[in-house]
Amino acid sequence: MEDNEIIELDIRGQVCPSSLLLTLKQINSHYESVASGQSEVVVKTDNRDATGTIPAAVENMGLVAAVEKQAGYYRITITRSIDD
Amino acid sequence: MPLDLSVWIVAISLLAVGLIAGFFMHRSDFCFVGAFRDLLLFRSFHRFGSLILAITVAATLIEMARLLGWLQPYPFSWYGTPSMVNVFGGFLFGIGMVFAGGCVVGVLYKFGGGSVLAGAAIVGLLVGSGIYAEFHPAWIQVAKALRLHDHATTLPQLIDIGPFWPIILFIGLGGYVSLYLRRQGKQELMGQPDGYIPLWISAVVLAFLGLATIMITGLPMGVTTTYAKTAAWIETLAFPEHVAGLTFFNAKAVSLSLPTLTREMSGNAGAQWDVVALLQAPLIVGIVGGAMLSAALLGELKFFWKLPLRQVVMVFCGGVIMALGSRMTPGCNLWHLLGGVPILAAQSLLFVLGLFPGTWLGGIMLKRILI
Repeated sequence: MEDNEIIELDIRGQVCPSSLLLTLKQINSHYESVASGQSEVVVKTDNRDATGTIPAAVENMGLVAAVEKQAGYYRITITRSIDD
Repeated sequence: MPLDLSVWIVAISLLAVGLIAGFFMHRSDFCFVGAFRDLLLFRSFHRFGSLILAITVAATLIEMARLLGWLQPYPFSWYGTPSMVNVFGGFLFGIGMVFAGGCVVGVLYKFGGGSVLAGAAIVGLLVGSGIYAEFHPAWIQVAKALRLHDHATTLPQLIDIGPFWPIILFIGLGGYVSLYLRRQGKQELMGQPDGYIPLWISAVVLAFLGLATIMITGLPMGVTTTYAKTAAWIETLAFPEHVAGLTFFNAKAVSLSLPTLTREMSGNAGAQWDVVALLQAPLIVGIVGGAMLSAALLGELKFFWKLPLRQVVMVFCGGVIMALGSRMTPGCNLWHLLGGVPILAAQSLLFVLGLFPGTWLGGIMLKRILI
């Protein structure tokens, strides 16, 4: 596996819709790097709705999101699409 | 208030309604704020669609109950005559609920699910209710001056026809929009968290719980007067004489005859345990408890304390503004959206009219604060 740069966002406990807004802001400022596979964005959130809204939003941007449940929160990893 | 068996039965039944509501709202993240905010901010229909479904099912159930003779004669006595303050209150409420990240019940299920910020919003709701008590008499005069009709309380009454056909038309329209959004795949999320219950199921459950509340108490679901009662109780500890002089907390008690109780009981917004507290407090405790149970069963009951101060302040202010909106309207989103809109109550329709621009403006300000 390549050594990608990981951009981590910890949004646990924050008000709705911080998860989506702050994730989109981070992706927009690192889009080239994420889309080329050089980096990935990892979001930690306890907002259950974000497990649906973030994947939907990043898919529209040509990226993919994988959701994993952790202890008391969700970890959403956003990377370039595997089709690329 | 004497606590006889029938009072306990009412309290336990409402606690059960609250527990079920809190559980389903947490599992689906059934958020009234999200319904309006996400529609206006992100053009996302999934929550708004489920809210339309909840309102449509509630309208169907209430109309069926009315036709079966289970309810008091139409137009019921739940809502007052319309006034322009209903729109203004809805506008304030819209801004407040977006800042607070949840409505008056949303903050309860979110708090139960482990949100510290929702706790800050609840504190804001108490403070806002206390502030309103300071200018209640003046506001009542404004509401009277801006009254739009002297006796009609519902849209069918305003156009002087019976309720059946307008309600049927409303149900047909709501059903069509719900089905359209469902067919377009716009009514559900694409990803699903652990233990997710589809939004449409929670919408239907909430509508049934709304009817159950009406059958138990004779009134639609509401919670905000209990925020005012709690504010009165806390304020009494520090300034008892001041509270004793406030009209809002000492208004003439309203008598209610519950279908499930043999005797008439009365209550107001004051600090004492009365019929208003009996109708609302078990719902509040139930919603928090139901969400807590849901989160605990999923291993998601965890409080995160490391929060941006800016958000704590914003959410608290949201609670204050939301409480002011709900007192000035008067009524909260639950009371108007699941109780009033389904029977085409004029006050509720005006409240929703104010809610849209309020949520939109709140959303724009929220984006600037968060990003």
